[in-house]
Amino acid sequence: MSNRVEKMRKALMRANTRLLLSAVLVFQLLSLGLSAFRGGQVSAQTLVFAVVVPLTTYLMTNLLGKIFPVDRAILILVLLLMSVGLVTMTGIAKSESTPRTHAVYLAGSCVAMVIGVVFVRVWQMTKRRAVLLAALCLAALVAPYLPKIGVYRNGARNWIQIIPDRLTVQPSEFMKPVLILVLASGFSNRPRFVKCLVPIGFAAICCAILLAEHDLGAVLLYFLTTVFMYYAATSNAVLTLAGLGMGCGAAVAAYRSLEYVRDRVAIWQNPWSDPQGTGYQLVQSLIAIGSGGLVGMGLGLGSPTNVPLYHSDFVYASIAEEFGLIFAVGLLAVYVIIILRGLITAGNARTSFHSLTAFGLVVLLGLQTMLIVGGTTKLLPLTGVTLPLVAYGGSSLVSNAFSMGMLLGISSMNAEDEARDIERIALREEGVL
Amino acid sequence: MKELRRNMRIVGTIVVIAFIGLASWFALTAYEQGTMWASDSYNTRLKKSNSQRGDIYDRYGTVLATVSDGQRVYLSETAARRALAATLGDTAGLSGTGVEGYYSAQLLDLSESMLERLSAVFNGAPRKGSSVRLTVDAALTAYVSSIFPSGSRGAVVILNYRTGEILAMVSKPDYDPANLSATVEDTAYLNRCLQGRYTPGSVFKIVTLTSALENDPNVVGQSFVCNGTWEYEGGRIVCASGRTAHGTVDLKTAFAKSCNVSFGKLAYQLGLTRLRDTAERLGFNENFKLGDFALYNSQFPTEIGNMSDLVWAGIGQGTVLVTPMHMAMITSAVANNGMMMKPYLVKDIITAAGVTTKTGASQEYRQVMSASVAQTVSAYMYEAVQSGTAQRAAVKGYTVCGKTGSAETSDDKTVETNSWYTGFVMDSAHPYAIAVVIEQGGAGSRLASELASDALAMAIQRN
Repeated sequence: MSNRVEKMRKALMRANTRLLLSAVLVFQLLSLGLSAFRGGQVSAQTLVFAVVVPLTTYLMTNLLGKIFPVDRAILILVLLLMSVGLVTMTGIAKSESTPRTHAVYLAGSCVAMVIGVVFVRVWQMTKRRAVLLAALCLAALVAPYLPKIGVYRNGARNWIQIIPDRLTVQPSEFMKPVLILVLASGFSNRPRFVKCLVPIGFAAICCAILLAEHDLGAVLLYFLTTVFMYYAATSNAVLTLAGLGMGCGAAVAAYRSLEYVRDRVAIWQNPWSDPQGTGYQLVQSLIAIGSGGLVGMGLGLGSPTNVPLYHSDFVYASIAEEFGLIFAVGLLAVYVIIILRGLITAGNARTSFHSLTAFGLVVLLGLQTMLIVGGTTKLLPLTGVTLPLVAYGGSSLVSNAFSMGMLLGISSMNAEDEARDIERIALREEGVL
Repeated sequence: MKELRRNMRIVGTIVVIAFIGLASWFALTAYEQGTMWASDSYNTRLKKSNSQRGDIYDRYGTVLATVSDGQRVYLSETAARRALAATLGDTAGLSGTGVEGYYSAQLLDLSESMLERLSAVFNGAPRKGSSVRLTVDAALTAYVSSIFPSGSRGAVVILNYRTGEILAMVSKPDYDPANLSATVEDTAYLNRCLQGRYTPGSVFKIVTLTSALENDPNVVGQSFVCNGTWEYEGGRIVCASGRTAHGTVDLKTAFAKSCNVSFGKLAYQLGLTRLRDTAERLGFNENFKLGDFALYNSQFPTEIGNMSDLVWAGIGQGTVLVTPMHMAMITSAVANNGMMMKPYLVKDIITAAGVTTKTGASQEYRQVMSASVAQTVSAYMYEAVQSGTAQRAAVKGYTVCGKTGSAETSDDKTVETNSWYTGFVMDSAHPYAIAVVIEQGGAGSRLASELASDALAMAIQRN
């Protein structure tokens, strides 16, 4: 009986995801296809995108979904977000090289996503491996301080160059999933407080390094993710609130003692006090959002390139200008759905390590999106983080795709476990009958 | 595991709620303020926009700005064009205020639907934006500008105190919007009516008087002794007339003759809290949200170091600052039985297709004082014009109430005082209020009062 209900439920779900997939494919085809013919001349590059992007989305969904029983809704929505990024770049970039590079990053991200799925399925977390990961994380975070390979960019020293002038990466992005894995391992199986001190101390050192590198956004993300994961694992509300309080205290102290923090807050409070200087980014961002109106200026018709970092930190303002407010809010809804399905995945996981990993990934995704959307729209002070899966930037794209891959991998393990359970129940029922 | 799931549900719910809250907040503010953001003068899209700016008219239909051969043109007569520059602003975003900047979204019809915008892109035809009709009287504005002492700096605001309509705004020095590449005098792009924060001097006595009348009904009968100076603990205050003492005066005479000693004592008697409460009810320290323009906030000290600060605040010196527009609003409230009207500049906005998208209407801002207090203050202001310092502000055949001010802007009297006057015509057919400030114009009883008299006479004559 339950077997049949379960089968019907699955069939229904599949029909829904098929509908979702069709909608996403139509969006990709239309937006990229039309962009190719913009301005009277045909862009061969965009035409290629218009063919390759829907094809990749279709194949990824069906092949990856066939091999591993991943949550297809998450997969399709993640691919949708990635293609929104490419569509936006195609529409607004001044040259063809920006969308081309973005497409290369996206290809890398797809690979990273598959690796993430496989990785989380085969990875056996042991204490030794956790220590190794933690060491790797610390080493990577300190790397920007090393001479020769460390790079200072956009007010923060958080880049390293692998191949000089060709390939630079942001360790703080790549270490986010590593941090979550280390914390999930340290916090799993209801540890006593003393045992928690080690992962907490590790996270604190990470935050300190990032603070020294002026990477405020990463500090906030690392800190809040740690606090939330700690609470989920231990249900110790008192210590969690104490941790949050300490965080607030640290924020006040940072505000008092660090000039660049004060600058950020001042700009946030009144960007119009210096609209052509320090407040320029934010004022231009708000102007872009306002110019878009409800339905947008139309893809490629706005001029979001007035906003500095229009393709990376301020991509959300660009999207709001091109596609309009309704689309921009809809995009946030996509994140909410991914978060909700991710939380379900976390709840269904069979081991507390996987459960916490999925939870951490989802919380991080949500927090990062809130930070940057809030920053672009003047609800929160601006911290240099990217809009996950959408914004231009190889490190962020690949790292987030890997994270989502892990989330998908966990969802596939859940589905397999569930299928096994159902089989067992069915066998037992048959045996009884 | 069960507990872990429960905790994850709790945190997950918090995150999702925060997320939805953020999205709603963003949607709401962007929806409400989007047009304002878009019409910011730093929006370079506006310059590139392929739509043609709509026309701007004054209250009588005079065309103040239109487009001819793709160029924005203003009034042909240079003096009048310059006079209206403060009101209109410019299309290049040089002045931070003005209708051209504040209403550029409407003048360019940015708010129009995407379909129309798209079709315009395809067929390339220039579209025409909405036209904006203002409450100002262009001829009155030009006249006031012409009688402003040449070479002086300052501002004049004329309001209809029953409706809140702005009839004229003059800011000096001015600039020529038809020749934006020309070099202009320093700070010419400032609209001093809205952005000029001046020390009010004795015009602030209206506020001190209001506070006294509200807090102590017996103050009307109180008499003050003025020996020309008052030495108090930690300082001394001198009457503007300097050598002449006012002698023993009642409150009405003290106000009419603008006796600093009496009002310094009155402020001391009231104390900071009561005086500040009244000032804040009248709009000091308030972030005005008026809709048609941005008005800088006026300032009254929230705390004081010593007695001297309080005494000086009572006569509008020290750290007290006010914009001419705000001063005109306060006077208007006195004239309008204590009800401050929301000043407005735009009568209506009509799209090229003839649809009215905005109608400016008379709106009450706030009852800032009781009707009886307002009537007493009016009577005292009438006395100032009859027998006090504001006699030159009189308009023949009309009941005029007013108050002068000579605001000191330096500690050592090396700089001439700013000449202030604010007042109104008590006449239901001509309900006009005015605020005048002439920088370094000397005593308010002279230049500012004379200018106000001429300006109000012209306002009456024109309507």
